[in-house]
Amino acid sequence: MKRGLVSWDKINELPPEEFAARLAAVHAVAREKGVDAVVVYSDVWRSNDARYLSNFMPYWNRAFVVVTPDENPILLCALSPRVYPWIKTVTMHETIIASSSPPATLFKLCAERGWTRVGVCDLDGLPEDLHAELTAGALELVDISRSEIRPAPVESEVRMHARAARMAREVLEQELASGGAKTDHELTGRLERVLRRAGAEDVVVLVSDGEGPPIPAEGRPVGPHTSVVVANEYNGHWAKVTRNFAGVTSGFDPRDGVTQLREILSGPYSWESIADTKADAVVSLQLQIPANGRQYYYGDTWLQSREGLRVL
Amino acid sequence: MLKLNPQRKAEFLELMAARGWDMLLFYGDTWRKDHFRCLVSVCFTGPQAVALLTKEGEVRAVVTHPWDVEPVKAGTGGAVTYVPRLIEGLKTLLRDAGKALVAVNGLEQMEARFARVVAELSGAAPVSATKDVEEIRRVKTPEEIEVIRKAAELADRGYQHFVSVAREGMTEYELVAEVEGFVKAHGAEDNFMLVASGGTEVTGMKPPTARKLRTGDSVITELTPQIDGYYAQICRTLVIGPPSEKQLQSYAIFAEAQQAAQDLLRPGVDISDVARVQNDVFRKHGFGEYTGPQYTRVRGHNLGLYPDELPHVLESTHYTCKKDMVIICHPNTYLPLSGYMVFGDTLLVTETGCVSLNQTERRLFQV
Repeated sequence: MKRGLVSWDKINELPPEEFAARLAAVHAVAREKGVDAVVVYSDVWRSNDARYLSNFMPYWNRAFVVVTPDENPILLCALSPRVYPWIKTVTMHETIIASSSPPATLFKLCAERGWTRVGVCDLDGLPEDLHAELTAGALELVDISRSEIRPAPVESEVRMHARAARMAREVLEQELASGGAKTDHELTGRLERVLRRAGAEDVVVLVSDGEGPPIPAEGRPVGPHTSVVVANEYNGHWAKVTRNFAGVTSGFDPRDGVTQLREILSGPYSWESIADTKADAVVSLQLQIPANGRQYYYGDTWLQSREGLRVL
Repeated sequence: MLKLNPQRKAEFLELMAARGWDMLLFYGDTWRKDHFRCLVSVCFTGPQAVALLTKEGEVRAVVTHPWDVEPVKAGTGGAVTYVPRLIEGLKTLLRDAGKALVAVNGLEQMEARFARVVAELSGAAPVSATKDVEEIRRVKTPEEIEVIRKAAELADRGYQHFVSVAREGMTEYELVAEVEGFVKAHGAEDNFMLVASGGTEVTGMKPPTARKLRTGDSVITELTPQIDGYYAQICRTLVIGPPSEKQLQSYAIFAEAQQAAQDLLRPGVDISDVARVQNDVFRKHGFGEYTGPQYTRVRGHNLGLYPDELPHVLESTHYTCKKDMVIICHPNTYLPLSGYMVFGDTLLVTETGCVSLNQTERRLFQV
């Protein structure tokens, strides 16, 4: 759940001009498709696409970000109007409409604006109830693929992912070197504390004891065969870094016995498996390395493109 | 423990028989894992996981992250398949479905493309099982209550830590980092936490900001640690420095309202009345207008595998409370006396009333 610091550094990280450029690209797609507006879905754990367009990262509930041709995106969300002043300080949104049902509010908005044809980013990816409500209405809906909204990670995004990766790497390596934690719960708590104090928005820690895959802490002792996965979200940009106490590493070229897991970190979900090794994406590569009768894990965050991989 | 709760499984099978469902799918995604975990209580790490319960009682699952296979297999004892794309997994699960009536717990949250695949494979649109399953989940088993007791105890310890570290000059997010680190180090799987600080300008809680705590601030939080899948919550307010008369006056109203709810809550009571008695306290003190949606959300809610389960405690919601439900009653709202204030305990409904699962002192804290 999103509960750490949500902030927007407009000077050093993501200037409003960056969002203006992203929105201009969506406007071009809208013109090409002949739609009056483009709708992007967001919820607590599927916030990456909306965040890309307006920096909106909900800590709770569902929302539609409506990209219009002539103003900043409009937010339709079920959160209380009491938090709208705060939302406005960390997003591009100037207009926020309280919406217990985002489709119903969208219909009303379209009627007011005279919009009849609306693009929806990944229409079939909408939650079933919203999809049913939206498709039952009178609006003409046009499916717009995610790749048209977010063609490839832009440099500013890559920088944010790199910062998230750097935070995770530094904190994890320091913690492993200190060896201060006796159990995986303690280890998780120590990592959470330091990362969140450093400004992490969300942190997920998984631990392997060398016998099985990395899983959430269960109170198991930490030892020389322990591997630790840290997924760190910094202002909406995820990174995943894995290290082990034994110092077992491997090149990222596949070799005998080493299993490689590739996950996209710049997709709609926080992470999900990806088979395409050429797609432009920020990815996590996780290696399972057999050694001394145990399984060790090692991984990092990379920029993947047709030119190859670059660690962030 | 609780990986595959036999009592729940039996209840779900009875539900299937009563409704005439051939198959019941439990669809969880990263946000709503509870829809999956009410059958298979494993904290999966991939974007989605689905468990299938057949009317014969067989459990099979598909997961979308390879690291989820072993824990889910250990949890179910049944077949578990890893698929990078859930659509392929649904095809695997339902390939022999033929003409079957398939119900989905969590259908509303399921991507529409997944629901369509279920319809294509079973020959009919799936029906939602979410409300029926929620009703079963509302009444907790003895095992679940024990876990929620542990979560409530951790909420108490977490709040103790909150009080011990909060100090002038600290930012909200640093305070949350300290508490988050503490509850995770002491066994929390997750923690839902909102916070706010300041005076009468504070109209609600949200994620922490970089605002620094100042003398005279009310610092409010709802802290909701999760143990073995189950959440318990505590809401308290502390003041940096000596509280003002208005802060004390405000707190007294909140404490009275929460106590009114606790005095009333028992099996057979309409949840609407649990909200009403809280609001009546505000009305009695001349603050009735602050009980509406402009200033507050709910006067409490059910707790379990999701931190904000239904029913919500609202005057407009009618639901007859049952023994062994676990409900937080919190009259959290804005008052002009001292801004938004919070106060609430996790309550277990017993045969004759209710008991608080929290042990934290019922007072306006001061540091």
